[in-house]
Amino acid sequence: MSLFRVLTLFFLSIVGLQAYPQDQKFITGEVMDVSNSEPLIGANVYWEGKSTSGVVTNLEGKFELELIPLPARLVISYVGFERSVRVINQKDAEKPIRFYLKQEEMSLDEIIIQERKPDEQLKNMEMGKASIPIETIKNIPALFGEVDLFRSLQLLPGVQTAGEGTTGLFVRGGSADQNLVQLDGAPVYNPSHFFGIFSVFNPDGLKSVDLYKGNMPASFGGRAASLIDVSLREGNNQQVRGEGGIGSISSRLTVDGPLFGKNSTFILSGRRTYADIFLRLSSDDAIRNNSLNFHDLSGKFAFVLGEKDKVSISSYQGSDFLGLDVAFGLGWTNWVTAVNWSRVKSDKFFFDLQSYHSRYKYSVEFDDPENGFEWSNKLSESGIKAIWTAIPTDKFQVNWGVHSQFYNFAPVDLDPASGSAIRPIVTNPKNGLLNNLFVSGNYEISPKLSAEAGLRWGLFNQVGRGVDYLYEGEVPGPQVELTDSLKFGTFENMHFYQGLEPRIAFRYRISDFFTVKTAYNRNFQYIQIASNSSAGLPIDRWILSGRYVEPVKSDQISLGLFHNFDQDRWELSVEGYYKDLDNVIDLRNGAQVLFTDQVETELLAGKGWAYGTEFLLRKNIGKTTGWLSYTWSRAWRKIAGVSKNQAYNPRFDRPNDVTLVLNHEFSPSWSAGLTFVYTTGQAVSYPVGSYRVDNQSVPLYSEFRNLDRFPDYHRMDASVTWKNSDKGRKWRGSWNFSIYNLYGRKNPFAYEFRQIYNEDITFDGGSDGEIISSRPGVVMTYLFTFLPSITYNFQF
Amino acid sequence: MNRLFLVLLIFCFSSCQEEVTLPLGTKSELVPTIEAYWTDQGSFNEVKFTLSKDYYDSSEVVEIADAEVFITIPGTEKVVPFGYFGGTKSYKPINPLEKAEVGETYQLNVRWGENTYISEGVMLEPPTVDSITWSFEEERSFREQGYYVKVYGKIPFENDNNYRIRVIENDTLKNQREDYLLFDDTFGLAFFEEGLELGYSFQENDRVRLELFRLNQDAFDYLNQLVNLLFSDGGLFSPPPQNPDTNIRVVSGNPEVLGYFIVSPVLSRSLVIQAKYD
Repeated sequence: MSLFRVLTLFFLSIVGLQAYPQDQKFITGEVMDVSNSEPLIGANVYWEGKSTSGVVTNLEGKFELELIPLPARLVISYVGFERSVRVINQKDAEKPIRFYLKQEEMSLDEIIIQERKPDEQLKNMEMGKASIPIETIKNIPALFGEVDLFRSLQLLPGVQTAGEGTTGLFVRGGSADQNLVQLDGAPVYNPSHFFGIFSVFNPDGLKSVDLYKGNMPASFGGRAASLIDVSLREGNNQQVRGEGGIGSISSRLTVDGPLFGKNSTFILSGRRTYADIFLRLSSDDAIRNNSLNFHDLSGKFAFVLGEKDKVSISSYQGSDFLGLDVAFGLGWTNWVTAVNWSRVKSDKFFFDLQSYHSRYKYSVEFDDPENGFEWSNKLSESGIKAIWTAIPTDKFQVNWGVHSQFYNFAPVDLDPASGSAIRPIVTNPKNGLLNNLFVSGNYEISPKLSAEAGLRWGLFNQVGRGVDYLYEGEVPGPQVELTDSLKFGTFENMHFYQGLEPRIAFRYRISDFFTVKTAYNRNFQYIQIASNSSAGLPIDRWILSGRYVEPVKSDQISLGLFHNFDQDRWELSVEGYYKDLDNVIDLRNGAQVLFTDQVETELLAGKGWAYGTEFLLRKNIGKTTGWLSYTWSRAWRKIAGVSKNQAYNPRFDRPNDVTLVLNHEFSPSWSAGLTFVYTTGQAVSYPVGSYRVDNQSVPLYSEFRNLDRFPDYHRMDASVTWKNSDKGRKWRGSWNFSIYNLYGRKNPFAYEFRQIYNEDITFDGGSDGEIISSRPGVVMTYLFTFLPSITYNFQF
Repeated sequence: MNRLFLVLLIFCFSSCQEEVTLPLGTKSELVPTIEAYWTDQGSFNEVKFTLSKDYYDSSEVVEIADAEVFITIPGTEKVVPFGYFGGTKSYKPINPLEKAEVGETYQLNVRWGENTYISEGVMLEPPTVDSITWSFEEERSFREQGYYVKVYGKIPFENDNNYRIRVIENDTLKNQREDYLLFDDTFGLAFFEEGLELGYSFQENDRVRLELFRLNQDAFDYLNQLVNLLFSDGGLFSPPPQNPDTNIRVVSGNPEVLGYFIVSPVLSRSLVIQAKYD
């Protein structure tokens, strides 16, 4: 739930409470979710027959309602929960009453799978924001049965994937490094396991995920394309509970409960894959001697400190390791910690303070007596953010704050092993200090027209310790002569950028069922990945803005029409957008960026733009839920030195994108899910000929990039879930059977243009024997055809 | 990185490969390709001049035999004319005694119809190769069992440290993409003094010839980019494929040209792998 919605609900509850003078008698209490004892915010509380004079619960799930002659029946209702009716007599009214509501998960008629009110999209100011409830994500058929957050987000309109089986996100024409992925407010720099096949988040430990594709609130910034705001859930304060699953390639367990009484809770979540066990079963030494695994651990501790304060501490640690032939190892680790303090200073004034530290590290080891080495690198971001929120009137809300971020990109460190003949490499560190001031206001001009205006001011300093290199003509390049170098001491200013980032949005309610919205959003991004491959690698090099690299600037305008019908059971939206990007980077042909201290000599810079229209029809209530989306979009780049300086489509430009996601509850025990995706093939370059150099045939490519297309991509996945809710009172288990790529479509992962020897695509001309024939050919690699998996999930 | 991904593919056990036929574009005009060596060893000095072809065309490339090819020393009257030799299908110096001298800058000139191409390179001083040894090695990480050759030498230079070692095994140039042995001084050059082991296993009685070239930066970049292109599998982890940046300039005519001009000293050594000397 976004801060805005929470505050709105809080505000409404305050308005409700203030409608009653203090000299009257009130009944007080709180409303909680029986499954986890979390407060239910915005629950309706009223005396039976007097629903119009009721109140709603506040941020802490508490309410205060004017007394009527007792005994009387008090009604508590909340969307998605069973209604509770209790007779209240005089004695009950003398002290606060606690109500526990039970989720309506067994109700077949009114299954609600959204975590917001049914007409929310009509009322709020948000554009380009998409949310998928965690429960929905868990019902989507999954690759290897591994429920995956990012793969689910790829099913939303406006979100493209780099290719088969990867979790990289390309949002509205932005590249993968232009997404800010954050966990409880702390950035996660490499949010993927297994080279992008899985994302790092264990869904059991998550509370919510919000994707901002466009109109990002002014309190967020730093990335040009999107914000993926992931929240860990808090533990319940009643008893220790758990859930988990045993899957085809990994198992997971989550435990939560009270920590030191009911005012503090904990949740711990862990996941570990056992792919390396499969590798060891191989009879082939070349496979058996490899290892491949990942794990992740997350935890959150929440403390309620009195009536007004709440503190939570969240942490995530996840690692991958790939070992080859015992001698070679590649490992990478994310470690993220966030501390959040929320204070309710008054009914109309709130304060939130957040601090975090995020560190990403990778290490490569090669155990060889002559050329062995250990190569490692790490980067970190530390930040502190303070937000003040005020609600002066029921029509106006304002928040303001400051956000300071410190980036530290450590030197590349290549350390030769003892006896190794190679030379050590140590580059200079890169540091950046980004201070942001932001203010945002939301004003209801009339019952139909609302406006939101925000401004974020980023002040970025590249600071020492570091070195800047000077080049002849001030234009760095591989062959340009180096004229001098400048050394900077710790925190000495090296280069400064600043930029204003306005965010403006309007909402006009045409009727109770139609809303039109428009928004403009500017973002600056001061860090980028120096890479020109489409999928992220663990060893990708992040670079800071500085003397030669200007910050990315993104401007986006959007317009949308939103419609609800059939008593808010269906949502329909159409959103169009246009986005401009400045200072996006690419790499020179044959660039070497991993070990150089002069990475600017390998970079090219240019512009980009993207536009599109996104249609979404969504059903959130009923036995059958899901959505159908269609996106038409285009993405372009124009970079001096690439494609003869002409505009070209990046690989993830896929004009047509159709997604169908369905989930159906047949009975309390049986449910099924179905997913279908269709997209235009990736933009790629095929050879236009071949030529002969160095006694071999080499593919000849056009000077223009990505003029060709992979065949269209389509795939259908299906799953069936059976759960036995009666299997003991404390243990509830379920089986999920999934099939990825139901009809076995051979979607290409790659095309390799190479010589085919002896009419055998597996023949290796170097070592498999005499070459009898040779001809040019095309070899397609495809992944994951008809891939079944089974997972056992449980709760206790 | 390709091997890393291979392991992932193994893990993703349902991955497969098959040959397909894709509709590919063609060039409206075939692109001239020049492959020129100018060294201090007469037998290496030649210019191959061919045309590109359609990708699926499995016939031999067309050799251009009617070009005017010569090498000059800019600022001097020196001209080294080349003539076409049908036996080698290449242009060679008419005077076979002509060869490159250290410190000199040379310019390649190729004229064919309306097309004129030039390229320049500096003849660099050669490093020293002291000795070559071989020994039998049991299976190791990333190395199969077999005979391995080590090259010992000295590279005393501060700059222009770009090298290629060509290996010819039993009269066959090892030119598979994994066979290219290119190195510079990114990781230092001490390994050359301590013995650079070639990454190929040989068998007893194999005849091995090593050819060490010291390259100009642009020629070295060309070969590096060529190897990158040969390793490109068209997947997400590969950069967009691009032709290597040629160091040959078009003066007039067809604006496209492929290939490279290498000016380099050559150190050549031959040996026969024999167990008794192991």
